[in-house]
This record gives sequence, structure tokens and C-alpha cells, in this order.
Amino acid sequence: MLVTLSLPSSTSHEITLPLSTMPASVSPAASTIRPSTDTLIRLASSDHGVQLKALRDVKNQIIGNRTKKLVYIKLGAVPAVASVLADALDGSGHSSTDLLVQSAAALGSFACGVDAGVRAVLDSGALPCLIQLLSNHDEKVIGSAARSLKLLYQSKLAPKYDLSENGSVELLHSLLNSENENANGLAASIIAHSCKASAEQKAFCLNGILAKLIDLLGGSISQRDASLESLASIMKSNHEVASQFVKYERGQALNLLVNLTNERSTRTRLLACACLITLRNVSSTYLRGRGTETKLVRYLVELLEEPGQVGEEASFALSSFIEDDEHLQKLAFDANAIDVLCNHLQKDPLQPKRLEGILIALARMCSRLEFCRAKFLQMQAFNSVSEALHHDCADVRGAACICMRNVTRSVQNLSAGFFMNENIVIPLLELLHDPNPFIQLEALCAISNIVVNFRTSNSSFIRWGGLKQLVQLSVSMDPAIRSNSLCAIRNLTFEADNKCKAEVFKELTASSLASLVSDPDPSVQEQALAIVRNLTGGSLESIQYAFAEGGIILDAVQRQLECASTVESGIQGIFVLSNVASGRDAHKDAVMDRLLHNMGSGSNPPYLLRFMQSNDSRLRTASLWLVVNLASPSCMGASRRIAKLRKAGVVSQLKIMVKDPCLDVKVCRAGAWHFFPLKPSFEPIADYSPGNFFLSAASSDDHTGSVPDLRRQLKIELFMCIALRIFPVLLHSCPSGCPIPFGLKTRNSILLLSTSITDPFATSS
Amino acid sequence: MSKKVITRDEWEKKLNDVKIRKEDMNKLVMNFLVTEGYVEAAEKFRIESGTEPDIDLTTITERMAVKKAVQCGNVVDAIEKVNDLNPEILDTNPLLFFHLQQQRLIELIRNGKVEEALEFAQDELAPRGEENQSFLEELERTVALLAFEDVSNCPVGELLDMSQRHKTASEVNAAILTSQSHEKDPKLTSLLKMLIWAQNQLDKKAAYPRINDLSSAKLEDPSV
Repeated sequence: MLVTLSLPSSTSHEITLPLSTMPASVSPAASTIRPSTDTLIRLASSDHGVQLKALRDVKNQIIGNRTKKLVYIKLGAVPAVASVLADALDGSGHSSTDLLVQSAAALGSFACGVDAGVRAVLDSGALPCLIQLLSNHDEKVIGSAARSLKLLYQSKLAPKYDLSENGSVELLHSLLNSENENANGLAASIIAHSCKASAEQKAFCLNGILAKLIDLLGGSISQRDASLESLASIMKSNHEVASQFVKYERGQALNLLVNLTNERSTRTRLLACACLITLRNVSSTYLRGRGTETKLVRYLVELLEEPGQVGEEASFALSSFIEDDEHLQKLAFDANAIDVLCNHLQKDPLQPKRLEGILIALARMCSRLEFCRAKFLQMQAFNSVSEALHHDCADVRGAACICMRNVTRSVQNLSAGFFMNENIVIPLLELLHDPNPFIQLEALCAISNIVVNFRTSNSSFIRWGGLKQLVQLSVSMDPAIRSNSLCAIRNLTFEADNKCKAEVFKELTASSLASLVSDPDPSVQEQALAIVRNLTGGSLESIQYAFAEGGIILDAVQRQLECASTVESGIQGIFVLSNVASGRDAHKDAVMDRLLHNMGSGSNPPYLLRFMQSNDSRLRTASLWLVVNLASPSCMGASRRIAKLRKAGVVSQLKIMVKDPCLDVKVCRAGAWHFFPLKPSFEPIADYSPGNFFLSAASSDDHTGSVPDLRRQLKIELFMCIALRIFPVLLHSCPSGCPIPFGLKTRNSILLLSTSITDPFATSS
Repeated sequence: MSKKVITRDEWEKKLNDVKIRKEDMNKLVMNFLVTEGYVEAAEKFRIESGTEPDIDLTTITERMAVKKAVQCGNVVDAIEKVNDLNPEILDTNPLLFFHLQQQRLIELIRNGKVEEALEFAQDELAPRGEENQSFLEELERTVALLAFEDVSNCPVGELLDMSQRHKTASEVNAAILTSQSHEKDPKLTSLLKMLIWAQNQLDKKAAYPRINDLSSAKLEDPSV
């Protein structure tokens, strides 16, 4: 379409054209004129008539036509128009007025919704000229300039309005007070655009501007809408301004705002809702006691059905409203939000912005409430979400990822293996390479959820190359990606079968795992340690992973524990040792040696004791499990280890922990205590059938207090240990691979044992 | 659940008991004339009934010029006039702009200018479809006109009807009204919609003389 012409060396020849508007029926079909440099030549003409015609041609071609705007911008039309404007400012008379009106209108259109246009207009220096036009004597000129400036200020790229500049406050006031609705609209646009920081909001609030805006709420439709937009902007996250508004005329302003949510115009309704949401976000007290929250949710769900911009913005408004608030999410659920959103989701084709809005709204709905997720999956719209993962628009892909991430939190469906299918996993794996880092992270989090699998195996995931990708990402430069990819691997190895563990270990390698355990970033350390824990737990064979390549992993774990930076690392690390110590004699001794290595040195208390004294009950519990496993009489070297532990001060610590407030800790302590008889002559029994064991524990008289009370105390503690074994849900607090060292495997044995205990808790056995 | 039956006589008696003020009726008529843009009729009605219009009649003139241009098939002229009136309207109403472009294509086809129509479709309409995917279906229908020799008899022939012009003209009219902060629908429309809704609600509970034809407002006896 571009026609290159060699510019004539002389000035363009004069053409006299009638200056009045074109006659009605004969039209030179302005819209069929192709953009060309010819237009630019005409714009630069010295003949006002030629210029005017050229301006009108450009204007009529570009209005509504994004494609043509871009073509003209590339041609350099914007500076040409801006210079016509600048020249006409100096002139006077009828023709100047026409030129001003038309050039202002053209510039406004270039800036309407087209970023490149906004930039071009700003770069051409037209902004101050347009502002100057606001004080022109001709209403048409003012109107044209105001409109164009309003469109300019609706763009993020526009500069902020500087109130400290000379005359700018007066200008704003005059715009607000003007009867010209375009001027009011411009003022509102300026305010909405320039109020981001709270200092700016406050500045705009002074000088009666807030009062004037509230005044406009009672004006015409466009004044109302403009005012609503600026009010939302000015009150956002600002307690001072918000409370000023709420108190204005004893709540009249607030009442007016609430009433506007019932207006006929859908745009007004939406803006009013958005304004109320802003208020609520500042403080939930503002809307209390009016049932406003329920109404707001309902209105927004209704507005979702509107076509065009209103419907699009409604979904974003709803999303921001219900974000992080379960109560509101429930209200939205009751208002059938999920049905409405899913129905729209399945309509084809959807504008990217609308699709993004719907996905984000669904994501927020499903963020916490299981019944929302269940409803969503029931609606059979889930395919649309996986399809959206492939969308061209990055925002849509991102929204789809967030949605995916939240829906995959559904434990019910995870355990049914619903999400482990190629339509979901493979696109997510592809998104791990998305150019947008935010999308990479969200996809990673979604995958992290999906690999938590209770029934089906993760072999498909590994087959699709998922493990390889995760391992690659574990050495990423970005710590968030590193930590999250390890979290995914951690979830992958949770209660995994031996085959899966072997693959993970092979891919990850011992040296990599050891270095990740020693990573400077604490969250990376934690995840790495958790992976080691998962790998080493569950069975005897799994313990070998800790000793791979000469025990570098175990060494790394040891080093981490010595300088344990966070509680979480400490917990995971201790559980690693605990898992190893649940093995054979050699394993237990290996752990023991490492502990001793730490215990012998320096004035710092050994980390085991420190952990047993920790404020965090989980860490105390974990340490006790380790003690239990080390002292367990299931292996020959038990007495040796018990003596060492006693020497290290573990027994004294155990005594102190009798008074521990936490139940988990009490139970574990009880388990541990049984291995530490105070009378050195009392030998623990190697073969401990339930009955024998109980007898031996019962006859220890090392505590203060009378023996019968003691026996009862012991019985209760023992029963609690057994109870822990019977109820699997309680086992969740037990580390994998850390069996209760009573040798009680079957329910029958437990029952047998419990009959010999006269227990205050037991009903008839 | 048996429905209550209301006879013609009962119904008419109830209707007679309802009082409507003449001033209210006049306002409704004026509102209709002004919203639809019948300036001369509105002016005359004002003189004869003494009812004041709620819009300044002078602002209606420009709007009517646009509407007339569309109804005569001069779409380019209409677009230029709208842009003179308020350049924002078409810039912020992609659907309206698309419909106007669509109408332009229809007019070119109606006048037998096939080559120009093809060029126009390619240069002006195709980009609209690219910019906004929801227009594609309608775009296809319109372009289909080009495929048929006998356009008046083809499946999409109704696009050539005057009704299509009226539809587009109404759309422009509504957009201009909205931009001038006026209600885009006459109140009369809402009242009639209310009537239909109320009858539907009552249908569930009673059999009564219904208005089935809005234009004649004739009461039709209930089928007992």
C-alpha cells in the first residue's frame, strides 16, 4: 500500500477548494483514499484549504480503523499533523479555527487505544499545544482539544499531570467547573491517570476537588461515569481520602454511590461496583451491614454477561473483589458465577481480553474452595483451559496457568489422577520455556501440584520428559524457579515407588543433590533436603541413596544441620537422618557417628539438643523420632548407642520434655523414653513381644512419685503410641520410614496389648 | 393447579378503573419522537400539545442528518458527519464501525460495483475481522453476497433489504444519543417490554384477555 513518490522540488501548486463542508450526496469517498506520502505533502501545504482537506481525509480514514492508524503512524503523519496544529495556534480567523479543530481531532484519534499512536503524539510535542487550546475562545476548539486530551490521558503512556506546575491546579478546577462535558471528562481522565501514589491522591483531594467530583455524580451520564472512574482512582488504598468520602455529608455520597449500582446503564453499574470495591478494600467496615457485599457479587456476575468492554471489565472487577476472600468466593458461588463463567468460556471465538478475564475469575474462584473446583470440573469446561495454554496472547496463557494451578489444588482429583494426562501436562511442560518468566513460574507451580499422586504412578510424567525438564530448571539462575522446580521434584518423590525414585536419582545425580542441599538460598536447601527425605524413606533399600558416592549427600545434610538456617531445613534434615537411622545397625551407627562428630566439639550445644529445645514443635517432634530410631532395640548395637546418647545429655533433655505442651511431642517422647531405663543394670530386651515389653516398661521405677500412678501414666502414654499406629491420619505427622519400634504390625496384636492395659480412655474391649 | 379465569367483562371493568394522565401520555409521545429523531413531528407536537421535549431540538438536527444519510445509503457521508459531530463515537464503538463498513459494502454490491466492492472488502473489512474475531461470522455472511449472481434471491439476500439500512441507522442513532448522555431507547419500548413480561407472569396464574398484537393492542379472549 505504500507509494513512494519523489518529492517535487518546488512547493506544491495552489488549489482553491471551497472551505465549507463537503456537499451531502457527492462524496469523494474519503475512506477509499489510500494512505500515501501524498497526504503528507498536502498537510505541509501553505494553502489552508488544502491542509484542511488533508486533515479531514486523514481523520476520517483513521477513526475506528486501527490498521490505518498504524500505517499513517509509520508514514510519519503524526508529526505532520502536530505541526499544522502548532502553526494554526499562531494564526487567527475562521480557517485557523477549522484547522485547530480538525488537527486536534486527528491527534486524539491517533492516541485512541493505540500505544504507538500515543507515543507518536507525545513525541511530536503536541501535548502542550493541546493544553493551550483549552483556553481558546471557541467552544468547538475547546471541545475537540478536551476530547483528544482525554483519550491521551487514558493511556498508561501519558505523563502524569503535575499539580505543582504553574497554573495546573487552576486549569483542573476550570475543567471540573466547566459546563462542557468534554472538559469534565478530561478532568476526570487526568485525575484517574495521575493518582497512583498516596501523596498524589492526597494532592488531588485538596482544593475542593473531591467535593466537585462527588457533585458530578449527580450530573449527566457521562459526567457520572467520569466521576466514578476518578473517585475509584483517588480512593484506592488510601484511608484518608476514603474516609473523607464516606463521611461526606453524613454518608450521602456513599448512599448515592450505592444507588448508582442500580442504574440502567451497565457501564455506570460496573463503575459504581468498582468504586465500592475500592472502598471495601480500604476497609471492610465501610460496606458492613447493608448486604452490599452479596449485592455487589450478584451485580458483577450479572454484568459478566454484558457484551463489549463492560463484560470484560466485570470479570476483572469480580476477580479482584473475591481474591483471597473465601466468604466472597462462596457468595459468588451462590450467585452461580461458575456456571456463567463456564458458559462464556465455551463460546467461540473469544476476544483475548475477555478470555483472560474469565480465566482469572475462575482461577480466583477455585483458589481455596474445593466445592468450587468440583463444580468447575463438573461443568466440563476444563478443556477450554488446557486449550488456552496454547493461546497466542501471553496474558491469556498466563491466566490459563494460574487457573490450572488453582484447580490442581483439588486433592480429590489429584488422587484420582485426573490431571495426569497429556492434554494438560505436555502444554504445561512447554510453557516452562515460555519467554515470559511469570508464565514459567505459574506453569511450574501447576506441575508441582499435578505430580502429587496417590494412586497412579508418575511414569507417564517421566516418559513425557517432565523429570528432565524439572532437573534442568533446578540449576536455573532464578532462585524462585530453582526452588519451585525442586518442590515439584519433591512432590514427585512423595511416597513414590522404587522405580520412580531410581529415575529421579539417576536424573538428578548425587553430586547435584548434595550441592543443592548446600545452596545459599534457604528455600532451595529446604526443598533439596525434603527430596532426600522422600528418597530415603519408605523402605530399607531406599536408605542407600543417602550413602551414594561415598556419602556426599549425607555429609551435605550434616553440614546443613550444623548451621541450620531455618526451622524448615532443620526439620527436613533431621527426618533424613531419621530415615537412615530406621535401617540396620550400620546405618544407625553411621548417623550416630555424625551426630557425635558434632557433639564432641566446642561450646555450642550439639544441634540435636538445640532442636529438642526448639520453639517449633515440629522440630522437637522430628528430633525425638531420630532419638527413637537411634535408640530402638531392634538392632544389636542399641545399648551402645543408648549409652552415647545418654552421655550427650539426651536423657536429661527428655526428662525436661515431660511437660511439653504439644501432643505429638508428648507421644514421641514417651516412645523415646522407654528406651532409656535409668537403672544401668536393667537390660533392654532384644526380643520384645508385646506382652514382655509392656512388663519391662511397667517395672521401671526410676521416676519420682508412687509406682501405681506411674504405671497408669505409662499405660496412657503407651496407649497413645498405639493409637498413633492405628489411625493412619495421625501418621501424617510421622516421617516415612520411621516405624514405631514396638514391632506391632497387626491390628490384632494391638488389640491384644490393649486388653492387658486398663485404660481410662478405653471402652469395653 | 387450576388457573383463575377472568372474563372479558371483568377485565375491561378493571382496566377502566385505571387512570392515566394525559400529560404522561404526551411526555411518552414526545420522548419517542425526540429519541427516534423526528424533529418536525416533535416541533409540531410541541406546539399542539404544549409538551416540552427533554432534549434540545437543535441538537437533534445533526443526529437526524446522520440517520438520514444511512437510510439513503450514503454511508461515507454518514461516517463523515458522525466524525464531525463527535470523533470519539466510532473510535470507541468497534461494532458500530464494523456495521457501517458492512453497510457500505452492501451498498456497493447493490449498485453493481463488484470490483470496487471486492477491493473494499479486502482493504477495509478484512482488517476489522483481524482486529476483532467476533466479527468474522457476520463478515463471512456479507462477503457471501459477492459470490452470488442473483443477489436478491441468495441465502443472505436479506442484507439487501431496507430493514438492514434501518437497523444500521438505528444503531448509529443510539450511539449518538448515548454520547450525548441521553437514553438510547424511547421509554415506550420499555413500557411495552414490561407489558409483555407482566402478561407472561400472569399467564402462569390466570386465564385472561391478553394483548397478543402490540400494534393493535386488541384484547383477545382467553381460550377456556
